[in-house]
Amino acid sequence: MKALKKLLHARELSSVLFLIALFLVVGLINPSFLNSSNVSACFNTSVVYTLVAVGMAFTLFIGEIDVSVGANLGIVATVVGSMLRDGAPVPTAILVGILIGAAIGLINGWGVAIMHAPSLIYTLGVCGILRGLMYLYTNGAWVENLPKDFKDFSAVTAVGDLTVYYCAAVVLTIVIWILTTKTRHGRYFIAVGDNANGAQLVGIPATRVKVIAYVICGVLSAVAGIIFTSRIGFVTADSGDGYEMKAIAACVLGGISLVGGVGSVIGAAVGAVIMASISYLLVFMGFSSNYDNAITGIILIVIVVVDALIQHRSVVKNYHARLLARVSPDQAVAGATEKGVE
Amino acid sequence: MADTNEGVSSYEIKDALLSVRNICKAFGSNSVLKGVSLDLMPGEAIALVGGNGAGKSTLMKIIMGIYTQDCGDIYIEGRKIEHNSTREALSNSTYMVPQEPMLFPNMTVRENVEIGFAEKPSELDHRLEQVMTEIGWHFDLERKASTLSIAEQGMVEILRGIMRRSKVLILDEPTSALAFDEVKSLFKVIESLKAKGIGIIYITHRLTEVFDIADRVSVMCDGIIAMQGKVSEFTRDDLIRGLLPPDTKKREAKSAPRPVSEIDYNAQPVLELQDFTGYGFSHVNLKIYPGEMVGLAGVVGAGRTEMATTIFGRDKVLGGKVLLDGKDITGESTRQVIEEGINYVSEDRFANGIFRIRDVAENTTAAILNGKRLGSFFLNRAEEDKISQSYVDNFHTKVTGLDQEVGSLSGGNQQKIIIARAFASEPRLVILDEPTRGIDAAARGDVYAVLQELRKTGVSILLISSDMEEVVELADRAVTMFQGRINHEFKKGEITQDNLMAASFGVYHEKAGVKVAS
Repeated sequence: MKALKKLLHARELSSVLFLIALFLVVGLINPSFLNSSNVSACFNTSVVYTLVAVGMAFTLFIGEIDVSVGANLGIVATVVGSMLRDGAPVPTAILVGILIGAAIGLINGWGVAIMHAPSLIYTLGVCGILRGLMYLYTNGAWVENLPKDFKDFSAVTAVGDLTVYYCAAVVLTIVIWILTTKTRHGRYFIAVGDNANGAQLVGIPATRVKVIAYVICGVLSAVAGIIFTSRIGFVTADSGDGYEMKAIAACVLGGISLVGGVGSVIGAAVGAVIMASISYLLVFMGFSSNYDNAITGIILIVIVVVDALIQHRSVVKNYHARLLARVSPDQAVAGATEKGVE
Repeated sequence: MADTNEGVSSYEIKDALLSVRNICKAFGSNSVLKGVSLDLMPGEAIALVGGNGAGKSTLMKIIMGIYTQDCGDIYIEGRKIEHNSTREALSNSTYMVPQEPMLFPNMTVRENVEIGFAEKPSELDHRLEQVMTEIGWHFDLERKASTLSIAEQGMVEILRGIMRRSKVLILDEPTSALAFDEVKSLFKVIESLKAKGIGIIYITHRLTEVFDIADRVSVMCDGIIAMQGKVSEFTRDDLIRGLLPPDTKKREAKSAPRPVSEIDYNAQPVLELQDFTGYGFSHVNLKIYPGEMVGLAGVVGAGRTEMATTIFGRDKVLGGKVLLDGKDITGESTRQVIEEGINYVSEDRFANGIFRIRDVAENTTAAILNGKRLGSFFLNRAEEDKISQSYVDNFHTKVTGLDQEVGSLSGGNQQKIIIARAFASEPRLVILDEPTRGIDAAARGDVYAVLQELRKTGVSILLISSDMEEVVELADRAVTMFQGRINHEFKKGEITQDNLMAASFGVYHEKAGVKVAS
């Protein structure tokens, strides 16, 4: 009973319901959508978004943000892609990619947590640098002719029509969820975002936690970049563009607060599926998928505004309830009041 | 008189729970601590008193490893601590309950208390139950911290400290947000902690508490320990003398005599509340006359602040009327209310008061930006400076210049600037909410003098204060609020601490007359 109540109160639940409703509505408009392969395709497409969103979730937990995730994904995809094209072994390429992601996370963490730069602007700057480096590295050319095995692996399925990549991402998300909610140290991310000074006073190393959050975000974006390369099969010069907005929208849709301290990675993963499905669903509803970005933006704004309103309302409501409870209902208590002055 | 020799301590480092020796700390060229030594023995409570800027908080932050000292040593149970950090301090069983509660608002009370422990959750739950039964505090552990009152938040912080099995517990003004009975239960808790051999450093501005709870007292002034010794060897006057800088005696004399009789109670009231009702208060009737200072006493949570902020247009009016000079201003917006001539000085100068990173002049004139005095489009900076300078002079505010950032001033001086801002709008009525909370005795004297001065200009003041002494000293008339209603009114001669206290707790009986035990 208690567990059920908890589940019903979970912020993630509403995003799951939203996802189901979305599929059903599209199914009503176009019944041919509702079959296993279409629905699976939505999930499979979301693997890159899922990883980026889960990474983004860490920086949102601590009350910061990382808008360099898309550029991070892009540069890792470029480097890994060109290494594989030039015959490097897959494990080496993957390792290099992850190290690049970790390094980017470290640079972000250093600027935000240690140098106290405002995270939105700082990571925007890092994003610019990474984009610039990417163009310098490729001269704007595409990275093509990747090994066939590497590309084909993206189609290998594990459960039903779900790919190995997506299943691995789900398992990873669940593992991270357990680590961040059920372990002592895992809760530190949320705690730091909730009240950084308070966290310090109970012995939580807030600065270190923040740096680690950025490194995790960097590494997950890098992994997303590697899977992106495998799935798409080539890397364009603008790869990863716009992924930051999708990831932020996924997190917010999944119930993660932009002010920190609230939400879970499960929510981020569910939100990622919704975000990834939009362009797919548009096609089934007879629209051009060009509306994708605009719709993502609208969803992001609607949720953030509604969330802010609800939050504000509930704060005011709680405050008023508390105040009303304090007032003595007994008129007699104040009996001697009305005496006037003279 | 006790040991006034700041550097030498009569205690052995090896016997003490905590010893600090010759601690120095400077921020830039500003030397905050100039060689402080302090010993805390097992089972004793040391009261640490001192003015704002005396260095108490800096010393505590050094003990907690939040700051690193420039020189001097820290010893815990005779062991020298080489590299102090907050984690190190916590693992050495030192815990500080900060003045401003530092809870995690989105976590439950339980999660807040239990975070950062190595024990199993089930063991923690069990121990928490035990601790709560022991000290007699009861919390709904599943409540979110964001729904707690400030007093409750403070209690959760203290729970945390106890749960950590701290040997050294630092309490930084723990009673500043607590109600009377909560203070009593806190003192009981402190006694039981002392009996267990825990050492307590108790920072307070309330001198009576020093005698209630402490074994020894250390008075800090200007970065050194000016006096220390057994509480039994001190009187209140000794402490006040230790706290006050040498030049305050003149000001004391200035603020002593007060004209009372010149208030015309037949005049039209400046402010009249008729059955005024809102969130947190109900059916309030009150009249304030020109040039009158009315004290509004009561315990924390009685609804006084809520009433003031509702008059000020910050919350919804649920019923009744507010009349200013006979004009109905019920439910007007904050901006309109200010234009009508009411200003409000918040109890929480950090959250609602000052613009920390703006300068003195900008803070002083912030409330009159809409008026024409500062020019109709471009600001007249010369006029702004003139107004600000006159308040700085009249209030004896210690600033390096009008361009000093307000965040870098001491609490007392910040408060003076906020009061100046309220009066700069040339109001009919100013509501001051706890104007001297958290500021030291000397600055308090200054603020009182300023208020007396201002009253002569004919402005009316509603003084909300939990410090009964303050109400007795300043008010021409006092009312008390209890559970959201004004329950008693006292004329000048009847205003005594006893009466106010009794009425604030709803136990005043008119028949028993002025002398009532609370």
